[in-house]
Amino acid sequence: MRTTRAFELPPDKAKANQRAIRLEWITIGYLVSAIFFIYITLGASQAMKAAWIEDILSLVPPISFLVASRVRHRPPSERYPFGLHRAVSVGYLCASLALAAMGLFILYDSVSKLAAFEHAPIGLVQPWGEPIWLGWFMIPALVYSAVPAVVLGRVKLPLARELHDKVLYADAKMNKADWLTAVAAMVGVIGIGLGLWWLDSLAAILISLDITHDGIKNLRTATADLMDERPTLIDSSALDPLPQRLRTELRSLDWVRDAAVRVREEGHVFFADIQVVPTSTEDLTSRLATVARRLMDLDWRLHDVVIMPAEKVEEERRADPARPDARTSS
Amino acid sequence: MTKKLAIVLAITLAACGIPRDPEGTLARVSGGVMRVGVTEAPPWIELGDASPDGIEVRLVERFAEQIDAEIEWAEGSEEEIFSALKVRELDLVIAGLTAETPWSSEASITHPYLTTAALVAVPDDTDEPEDIAELEVGVEANTEIAGLLRKTDAHVVEVDDIEDYEGPVAIDNFLTDDLDVVDTGVRLGESDHVFAVPIGENDWMTAVERFLLERPGEIEDLLDELGGP
Repeated sequence: MRTTRAFELPPDKAKANQRAIRLEWITIGYLVSAIFFIYITLGASQAMKAAWIEDILSLVPPISFLVASRVRHRPPSERYPFGLHRAVSVGYLCASLALAAMGLFILYDSVSKLAAFEHAPIGLVQPWGEPIWLGWFMIPALVYSAVPAVVLGRVKLPLARELHDKVLYADAKMNKADWLTAVAAMVGVIGIGLGLWWLDSLAAILISLDITHDGIKNLRTATADLMDERPTLIDSSALDPLPQRLRTELRSLDWVRDAAVRVREEGHVFFADIQVVPTSTEDLTSRLATVARRLMDLDWRLHDVVIMPAEKVEEERRADPARPDARTSS
Repeated sequence: MTKKLAIVLAITLAACGIPRDPEGTLARVSGGVMRVGVTEAPPWIELGDASPDGIEVRLVERFAEQIDAEIEWAEGSEEEIFSALKVRELDLVIAGLTAETPWSSEASITHPYLTTAALVAVPDDTDEPEDIAELEVGVEANTEIAGLLRKTDAHVVEVDDIEDYEGPVAIDNFLTDDLDVVDTGVRLGESDHVFAVPIGENDWMTAVERFLLERPGEIEDLLDELGGP
């Protein structure tokens, strides 16, 4: 059976990828320690519980990234002739589903606690024989769970753009926004301290809305990937101009009368199906081979190109009305 | 360094009156009336014809004295007193509770003020056995300790009154002196003793906790005095 060639990153990207892998390992180590610190100071605060669950969930993107970065280097096989790039998308889908579901659960939990006028009891602890209100330990734990996360998020964001990696991008975005969760949870804890019991559940509701929002946003992107959506920019803000470029490139060839291109994303690489209408069939096979190589050099993400000669190109579809932000289709 | 800092910080902030009570229990009880729910649970609470007595009762009396409160005792079943605590008709519940109490969703459970252990002890004039396998161990019938003992490979001898039994016994650790027995080191279980307060009255709860945590010596003395079989 025909299989796709094994995927290799260009040298500069490989270096960025190594850096991303190292950063994700650091992220996991740090998150585990933050989860531990929040756990020991958890108490009965609903906002702390929400922040804790969010920290646990933010382990999922770095783990997906690390798993994917191993799997995608496996060469395509008889059984998986297109390679294992979609493993990234599948992991991404699961992660966003978990995020959305957990966000909704915490939302439900917090709203019902608020509605039941449930107060959070926080008492004394005696870590050094001196009784101290547990609330005072929650705040440094929350600060610890936020500050390094924001720094890591800022460092990872440009790498995600460079590597066109949506999992890494979602992860960086989540880390970067983590301070909001920490501040909300701190407000909740201080609220309990001031006797404003409802602030705790309210803060938890805000955090859960943030988790749900992240989940749904990522779920949408992950689903679109699996539905073979046209490649988009990493933040999904606009369509990727690559298909247009491929078509322009093809049409500039003197032996090509017309060409149509469709490109799909598999994980972080692109697969292109191309139809060309040649002016003559002279030397056609060698011409097709040359042009395929040339197209592959246009963009490192373009991993596989299939070119079919045709009598005429298939009718083009108009821009999807559901995507008003879409640029002109090619 | 961090320890000192944390203590200084905690004291400074405690001075600002954090945590506060959503419903102002501590402020109302101090110099006022403390409504305390009690139920029979010797040696912690013993309800006589007169006013209640027992280890926890004495502790509450001392606490009330410290905050200049007058105690109003409310006797009832656990169901009754916890239901009243939940709707804030009581300020405190003592019932020989442990941290494992099933009432913890209805009330705030304080930091444990005392940990007791159920253990196997032998008369102080006999040799300590190597282990309790097949050993005949006396235990009061129909008690939790009897159940815990049954899970071991000891031979369970159920008795009505543990004081009348001669030989190895399974008892609470504070009874060893009264029964002239010595601990074998075999632990059947531990109990962390707690009080219960209305949920979320954190200033009130920490006041109760602080009172209890600052008196380990007094609690030991009370246990010696009142913790008889």
